[in-house]
Amino acid sequence: MSADDQTLMKLAARGDETAFGDLVGRYQNRLFTVAHRLLGNRADAEDAVQRAFLNCYLKSGSYDARWQVSTWLYRVLTNVCVDELRRRKGAKPSVEVSDAGRPPERTGQHLDLRRALEKVPTEARLLLALRYVDGLSYGELARIRGISINTVKSQLARGKAILRKALG
Amino acid sequence: MDRVDDLLAAHFSVEAAPEGLASQIVRRARDADREVRRLVDEIEITATDRGVCLIRAERLAPPASAKARHLAEQARVELREYLEGKRTFFTVPVDLSGAPPFQREVLAAARSIPYGEVRAYAWIAERIRHPRAVRAVGTALGRNPVPLIVPCHRVLRSDGGVGGYLFGTEYKDRLLALERTTPVLQGCTTTRIVCRVGCVHGRHMRPANRVVFASLEDACSVGYRPCKVCRPAAAA
Repeated sequence: MSADDQTLMKLAARGDETAFGDLVGRYQNRLFTVAHRLLGNRADAEDAVQRAFLNCYLKSGSYDARWQVSTWLYRVLTNVCVDELRRRKGAKPSVEVSDAGRPPERTGQHLDLRRALEKVPTEARLLLALRYVDGLSYGELARIRGISINTVKSQLARGKAILRKALG
Repeated sequence: MDRVDDLLAAHFSVEAAPEGLASQIVRRARDADREVRRLVDEIEITATDRGVCLIRAERLAPPASAKARHLAEQARVELREYLEGKRTFFTVPVDLSGAPPFQREVLAAARSIPYGEVRAYAWIAERIRHPRAVRAVGTALGRNPVPLIVPCHRVLRSDGGVGGYLFGTEYKDRLLALERTTPVLQGCTTTRIVCRVGCVHGRHMRPANRVVFASLEDACSVGYRPCKVCRPAAAA
């Protein structure tokens, strides 16, 4: 699959909109889920995914073929999402964003988890999202965020410890 | 696997993205050409020995001295980087000595608005301790001698309206959109140094080595250290 991704990326870099559309179709659900869980509402998540793909499309010439396309896309998406979270911290902290489109929570536990996740620092929350949405390896997570594998492990452990404490 | 793992797996289960995402992105890509970066070719910049003193979309008297010419050129370079989304702060000095004291206070307050954020005209009036002078604040900003560097475009009406702008409200909208989509803090994965976007150290960073952080605290928590040149802690 990885070779196919790279072919699509090369075609997209030459302005092939169909290839680009195929690439979007292949990754949009996973990227949208990561963005939605991090940003908390569908509108911001959709905008973040659009901006991430747009960056990839406009700057596809700078794509390094040694990277897996998925890792590259997640790097770009997390850069966009992290900056959006920074802006919110500065502008209007602790605003609960309503989300009419969100599927109903199945149990109270899931609601508790959402609240508990808000107590997890941004970097750890980001790694948890990538790990659980797409099952990315520690190595891939380290590459996406430009950190060591040991830091990935300690951040994930820290994030889960905060969740366990918050959930009792 | 424990209970938290199970909850996380359920919480992060993949959901469907909205329909038509690819076509929307392609449309945005086509529009991306109509960007604000062309503004830098349409403006004239003049300076004194102390700093940039006037930026306008009309012919201006050229800087009088070599030092002033150098400052005007530095401003043009920084403005180009800013409009290309490669800079979030300016290092070139400004010379506001020609402005009346009230306007200087207003402009100083406008300069304190962080990149990517907006404030109301009333906020400026409160900040300079003239809470009833909202209209005068608007007038002072409207005559801002150094727009862009003194970010009067970050000041909006209290009702959320865009308000006026020297280069037109369309440009004001585009500048705000540019700042909304440009990150402020970036780290280099090879040096593990975090800089403000626009720092000289980040200029040669390859895209593959660039990671964005939400705060300096986040960056430090995963092993990055702040740049000693642009000092992101001081900016925060």
